Amino acid sequence: MKEIVIISGKGGVGKSALTAALGTLLAEKHLVLLADTDVDAPNLHLAMDTRLTDFQEIAASDKAFIDYERCSGCMTCVETCRFSAIMAAAQPVMMPYSCEGCGACALTCPEQAIEVRPVVNGRINIFATSGLPLVAGELSIGGSSSGRLVDQVKRRARQEGEHCQAAILLVDGPPGIGCPVIAALKGADYALLVTEPSTSALHDLQRVAEVAGHFRMGMGLVINKADIHEKSRRTILAYAEEHGMDLLGEIPYDISVPKAIASGQPVVAAYPDAVSSRQISRIAATLLDAVTAVT
Amino acid sequence: MTAMTADLHSEVIKAFHRKEFTTPVVGITGGKGGVGKTTVAVNIACALADRGVRTALVDADVDGPNGAILLSVELANPVAVDITVPQIDEQRCNSCGDCVRACRLNALFMPRGKQPQLIGECNGCEACILVCEPGAISRGRKPVGMTYLSRIDGLSLYTGALIPGFEESSVVVQAVRERAFGDAAQFDLILIDTSPGAHCNVINALRGADTVLAVTEPTPFGIHDLELILKLLDLLDLGGSVVLNRADLPGDSRKVKTIAGQHGRGLIWEIGMDDLLARSYAAGVPVVREYPRAPSSKVFLQIAENIAAAYGI
Repeated sequence: MKEIVIISGKGGVGKSALTAALGTLLAEKHLVLLADTDVDAPNLHLAMDTRLTDFQEIAASDKAFIDYERCSGCMTCVETCRFSAIMAAAQPVMMPYSCEGCGACALTCPEQAIEVRPVVNGRINIFATSGLPLVAGELSIGGSSSGRLVDQVKRRARQEGEHCQAAILLVDGPPGIGCPVIAALKGADYALLVTEPSTSALHDLQRVAEVAGHFRMGMGLVINKADIHEKSRRTILAYAEEHGMDLLGEIPYDISVPKAIASGQPVVAAYPDAVSSRQISRIAATLLDAVTAVT
Repeated sequence: MTAMTADLHSEVIKAFHRKEFTTPVVGITGGKGGVGKTTVAVNIACALADRGVRTALVDADVDGPNGAILLSVELANPVAVDITVPQIDEQRCNSCGDCVRACRLNALFMPRGKQPQLIGECNGCEACILVCEPGAISRGRKPVGMTYLSRIDGLSLYTGALIPGFEESSVVVQAVRERAFGDAAQFDLILIDTSPGAHCNVINALRGADTVLAVTEPTPFGIHDLELILKLLDLLDLGGSVVLNRADLPGDSRKVKTIAGQHGRGLIWEIGMDDLLARSYAAGVPVVREYPRAPSSKVFLQIAENIAAAYGI
């Protein structure tokens, strides 16, 4: 099974819409499995016809808990915590949102009043779509350790993939460059980088390409809304060439894409003859060649 | 999750937001990426600065900080953000393995018959240092990011930037927010622009905010993620209003209003497609300065006026 992760650095450049469209096209000839690792704002299930068939709660986050029966109010824990997660009041108050679950407070508490326990930080949703199943992570509101939840999503997706003997696992990645992105990239064969012609998007693309460069994987670039700013487009093309990044294709701005999103369908299904759909078709073929070439 | 939220009383939240100064703090977030958070933040900041309000803008999207790009300003006054990593003194270490057992990230590994080594991601919790009986572990420093302070036309821009390849975004978020908060006495208002999403980066950025603008667009993605971020804001006891950007994109603006209303956010600022906004974005000049009479500028100026009135500044 070849694992392709779609990332961009900057959010809102079209990762989910492109994942849904590419998945739909690749599934015409191959067994494709989809995964959504943008666990704090998962949208892939909205980009196509999906039906929730199963879900599983995940406890991939550790938090410290104070037993106030034992706590003497000495505040050693407050001094110990490197993450400012414990505030000194009449007794120490734990800020679950800042707690990293490192357990340093539990180690120094003279009363042994602190315990670190796993807490539910999200769930894995399994959606059925027309032909290709989707494994999607969903972080609980206020939950932490999104990277560890992404690890679980990928593990489950790989299990499902092996079970149904999928040829391709297509992973919709999170924005940014931090822990969930690194977790999404781990163990993948290929990173598909999406960008759009703007200085901000190029800046974020460069940062995420640097992260992906730490892993041994193939990398290809798609420029979305390629015709909105010619000067920025040229800068991106020059950057891609300078860094030996394969250009998989360009998609012009096309109102069919937001219209398809609004109707909850991939653009290639809703408007197969639209200019964007034709370009995405070409990108799917180029991507398949590029991924097959990765050993 | 229930175990965690159940004990989240308002006291905890109050302590969480507690700060040592009175300067109002306004957060700008949105859940979905690319909806225009930074554009909104930069334009409101400029509109306020141009009114004579001493304004700090904090770019806390440390994975992809773009505020400086939209303002065409150089990053200046760099300060490194680093975390503690264990440095093991081979002379003192007795290979007891306590540090390896204390590390919940499994970042330390002790090969048979050898001394422990740092092999994985360390988050700087110092648990290993705390348990080391012979005191063989000292604090080494590892840089994970930078903060910057740039000044431009009456505006102070604080930028946090994670070094690509590192995972400690929230440490950098905290550092840039604290740098600005440390200078709070110099300002009438602090604006904080967050990363997309609803995870620790966003939560850390909004710590200490008095009110929050949630930016979204009327697409199914924008609506879905708005609901997530509003649930988070409710949990963090943060009120505010909603900015509906690109209001004429295919979608459902009414649904945005319904969801905002369900979360006690009656005020919705609506920004339609605006060529002048797109043009100024590409040029790296805030639209309120380049085209103050553009339709989008009018909304940004209104929001700024509304904030100024709310805090009497």
